[in-house]
Amino acid sequence: MKIFSESHKTVFVVDHCPYMAESCRQHVEFDMLVKNRTQGIIPLAPISKSLWTCSVESSMEYCRIMYDIFPFKKLVNFIVSDSGAHVLNSWTQEDQNLQELMAALAAVGPPNPRADPECCSILHGLVAAVETLCKITEYQHEARTLLMENAERVGNRGRIICITNAKSDSHVRMLEDCVQETIHEHNKLAANSDHLMQIQKCELVLIHTYPVGEDSLVSDRSKKELSPVLTSEVHSVRAGRHLATKLNILVQQHFDLASTTITNIPMKEEQHANTSANYDVELLHHKDAHVDFLKSGDSHLGGGSREGPFKETITLKWCTPRTNNIELHYCTGAYRISPVDVNSRPSSCLTNFLLNGRSVLLEQPRKSGSKVISHMLSSHGGEIFLHVLSSSRSILEDPPSISEGCGGRVTDYRITVVPLASVIVKESLTEEDVLNCQKTIYNLVDMERKNDPLPISTVGTRGKGPKRDEQYRIMWNELETLVRAHINNSEKHQRVLECLMACRSKPPEEEERKKRGRKREDKEDKSEKAVKDYEQEKSWQDSERLKGILERGKEDLAEAEIIKDSPDSPEPPNKKPLVEMDETPQVEKSKGPVSLLSLWSNRINTANSRKHQEFAGRLNSVNNRAELYQHLKEENGMETPENGKASRQ
Amino acid sequence: MPTVVVMDVSLSMTRPVSIEGSEEYQRKHLAAHGLTMLFEHMATNYKLEFTALVVFSSLWELMVPFTRDYNTLQEALSNMDDYDKTCLESALVGVCNIVQQEWGGAIPCQVVLVTDGCLGIGRGSLRHSLATQNQRSESNRFPLPFPFPSKLYIMCMANLEELQSTDSLECLERLIDLNNGEGQIFTIDGPLCLKNVQSMFGKLIDLAYTPFHAVLKCGHLTADVQVFPRPEPFVVDEEIDPIPKVINTDLEIVGFIDIADISSPPVLSRHLVLPIALNKEGDEVGTGITDDNEDENSANQIAGKIPNFCVLLHGSLKVEGMVAIVQLGPEWHGMLYSQADSKKKSNLMMSLFEPGPEPLPWLGKMAQLGPISDAKENPYGEDDNKSPFPLQPKNKRSYAQNVTVWIKPSGLQTDVQKILRNARKLPEKTQTFYKELNRLRKAALAFGFLDLLKGVADMLERECTLLPDTAHPDAAFQLSHAAQQLKLASTGTSEYAAYDQNITPLHTDFSGSSTERI
Repeated sequence: MKIFSESHKTVFVVDHCPYMAESCRQHVEFDMLVKNRTQGIIPLAPISKSLWTCSVESSMEYCRIMYDIFPFKKLVNFIVSDSGAHVLNSWTQEDQNLQELMAALAAVGPPNPRADPECCSILHGLVAAVETLCKITEYQHEARTLLMENAERVGNRGRIICITNAKSDSHVRMLEDCVQETIHEHNKLAANSDHLMQIQKCELVLIHTYPVGEDSLVSDRSKKELSPVLTSEVHSVRAGRHLATKLNILVQQHFDLASTTITNIPMKEEQHANTSANYDVELLHHKDAHVDFLKSGDSHLGGGSREGPFKETITLKWCTPRTNNIELHYCTGAYRISPVDVNSRPSSCLTNFLLNGRSVLLEQPRKSGSKVISHMLSSHGGEIFLHVLSSSRSILEDPPSISEGCGGRVTDYRITVVPLASVIVKESLTEEDVLNCQKTIYNLVDMERKNDPLPISTVGTRGKGPKRDEQYRIMWNELETLVRAHINNSEKHQRVLECLMACRSKPPEEEERKKRGRKREDKEDKSEKAVKDYEQEKSWQDSERLKGILERGKEDLAEAEIIKDSPDSPEPPNKKPLVEMDETPQVEKSKGPVSLLSLWSNRINTANSRKHQEFAGRLNSVNNRAELYQHLKEENGMETPENGKASRQ
Repeated sequence: MPTVVVMDVSLSMTRPVSIEGSEEYQRKHLAAHGLTMLFEHMATNYKLEFTALVVFSSLWELMVPFTRDYNTLQEALSNMDDYDKTCLESALVGVCNIVQQEWGGAIPCQVVLVTDGCLGIGRGSLRHSLATQNQRSESNRFPLPFPFPSKLYIMCMANLEELQSTDSLECLERLIDLNNGEGQIFTIDGPLCLKNVQSMFGKLIDLAYTPFHAVLKCGHLTADVQVFPRPEPFVVDEEIDPIPKVINTDLEIVGFIDIADISSPPVLSRHLVLPIALNKEGDEVGTGITDDNEDENSANQIAGKIPNFCVLLHGSLKVEGMVAIVQLGPEWHGMLYSQADSKKKSNLMMSLFEPGPEPLPWLGKMAQLGPISDAKENPYGEDDNKSPFPLQPKNKRSYAQNVTVWIKPSGLQTDVQKILRNARKLPEKTQTFYKELNRLRKAALAFGFLDLLKGVADMLERECTLLPDTAHPDAAFQLSHAAQQLKLASTGTSEYAAYDQNITPLHTDFSGSSTERI
């Protein structure tokens, strides 16, 4: 791959001498009479284009295709030659577009048939072309600056496409000699200049064009090396559509293009809007988009004869897109396209469809029944690309699942509720925060409605995890707990809760089931709270009671285990061995593997506890209730009432 | 990168190797020993590699199709018979077919050719092949360069002196040259013995089969990962930038972007990113690839329970429908994303973009991307209802700007018909009439097609005479005005034929009281 190959710089030299004003003698009917208005009217006489018009529109078509497919780094310099050379634009990127060239051509106008033919020559243009090839482009300049001492690596190659009407083969030879000499001279000049570059390689493409029906005075000649720097080829082409076809073939050769025909495009008929017919559209693009066909075909096309493959087009079948699903395809290349027949109705229907943001998958027509999608057409910001999709076997097939690898078994990576969870714990909320929280809640509602999996369980759980509706129920409970814990902070916190409750409102039946579920949960909470509370443990003098509580905890655990598979069972409780309880202070409510809330509360509580000596009453309390006047009871020999029970429900 | 092992089983491979004081070895035993070592290495460190085994003499045979089961490959090694003479060309043709059938033409493959450097005799010998290499037709092209990206490693069961005594080395070097220099020749250093064969295969392993380990980083979160297959160095432009670029072993996440915004970008290659657990010595414990080995299983289970950033990242990207942009080197980026295969498994995958400041035109320059908070206004809108991507190109493409092309007569006829259709609906269609008229005028001026302007002017004048009695009087005024202007332009005089000048509608007033102005 070379950036500065011959196709980096293309100079068009178009003959503007008086004979180019001659007609190409190919008529165009432009007055097409519409039916039922034809009576008695004679259509206007057909007109014909001049050799000049044919040359200009063919070279503009060459540029159109080139700019569509290579909007950058492939540059054109347009020169018109008559009694002198008129250079219509420069190498700068701003000058590289059709509008600029069209405006400049309009300013030049058609050749003047009455000008003195003796003063006019294509040679002026050819000399100017060599001169302009020595001029550095902004890309060459940038690369040279970047490479510093290796600046000589930046190549200076180019191509001159000269469209003229030559008199004879010897006239053609004279033109070639002139180019060669001029290169020789200018290379000498460039050697002593900082802002000019010597031409390393120049490809001269001489196109002799003449009116249809005349005999050509010039013979075709394939590419020939005239010197180490210059190669030349001669094409003798009739004007009119023949010239356009020739330039179309040349642009494909010069820029390594290939053709794809999209077939089976369904399109509404103009006349009968309710019927649709299938159309074909031919597109040009870089030939690498066919890399799989070129290499896996029986014959190896690459590198062979250059003329051969250009008549060929590869046919791909349109697959009507079903959804607008956003998917990340494995795409091995994306190439800009240009329709061959840009203004035809099928072409513009296809391009407009794509420009409106739809993508189309393309299928390889195969004789067997198997369907192979090999390409995709898609637009990105007003540019259409042909994407090559990998259709061969993947070397990464059957990869180990991420859940089987490191960290794969950890289930509580909290991924979705993050905006809400980080915001709700703030002491005061802004309007934006509230909005953010509400958005998160709506998002969750939406996910539940669509039955999207919650991230926590898709990652990491092995085998069947809890059912999806269960996951959602657990998530909602947890969320409610989290938000409730903060409602006292402000009215805005309250609003988040209201939003949450509104979103959670369920039909009564479900509400009932939920209540039952919650009861169980509460029980579970109790048990956990009881067993978790290490501080509390110290205060319990009666080891029997402790045992009892632990036992009940176990019962609850067992219960939880049994109902695990029912649709509304709570998340399985922490299965850590009971003796390994954390030394964390009591939390408001906790269940399951450590929830975000308990993590947070623990953090706050630990932070707070460092700041002051804990009040003895709270230290000895059961469920945050301290028994007053305990000593009285002890003195009276009475049993302490069961604190736990009082706090229940 | 799949591997094809191509093993020479010609008679010359049975030549004995003299080793003092031990049992007699043949060259094929040395070769099998070396390959065993390679397979064992792959089975532990390069498990996901697909390998096929081909044997050849004057014919070739696919002994083991592409597999990850290294036991099968190993077994096949011990079940090889001896055949006749060496015929390398047909074996290489066989490799072409096997690879293309399995992987197509785009997936890079490594070909490990194991031979003793005896290149056959007569027709089909490598000397003969190379001598006739330039006289081939398309149908019996010499198989090199391989029609897929490749590396050709030639493992010689011979030492350098032996190969140099004939022209063998020269011929083998020609093979590498023919494969565009992609590959390398390995010879045995010193006497032919098991130890020296091991060290030769060790060099191959170091060169081509060492796993690529990297650290994936995002802020202060990190994870040790293996990237499979190994990312290969990339040459941007052999003239300007001939030094192959190698990707960083620190893979730094520089940002996140929606899947819709990145929009199926073209990539050079894609790779699995597998978290690995490292013990204190820095040795790998496991890549999480399940294995029958009991010990490894339990090690994996422990590793599975330690939170890993890769899992968090994978889950987050999946849930958010986003990809992470990762820096691979200076001006070189890639993306990390969740990839699900057809079954329910999914994985963290990394794709490499082409190196350069602007790998995806629709994202613009990578260096200019930044966090949303850096923008004055949220580019995604307050309700996340818009996107700054794709970027619009400065100049529209031809298919997006209503260009005029008259190469086919139908193009010209359609444009004239449009003018005519609007002409018949004047004055309602005055705006579109002049719009189409000016479009035609511009193109005709640029193409120097002045006859067309005259022709269309004549046509409009005729339309004027054909107007029905019921027609609005303005229609006639506009038609003759337009015809007159076109006629003036068709003279080509700069005054009337300026490209940027448009024909404007004639100002008429039919309100009644005032007189008409022309």
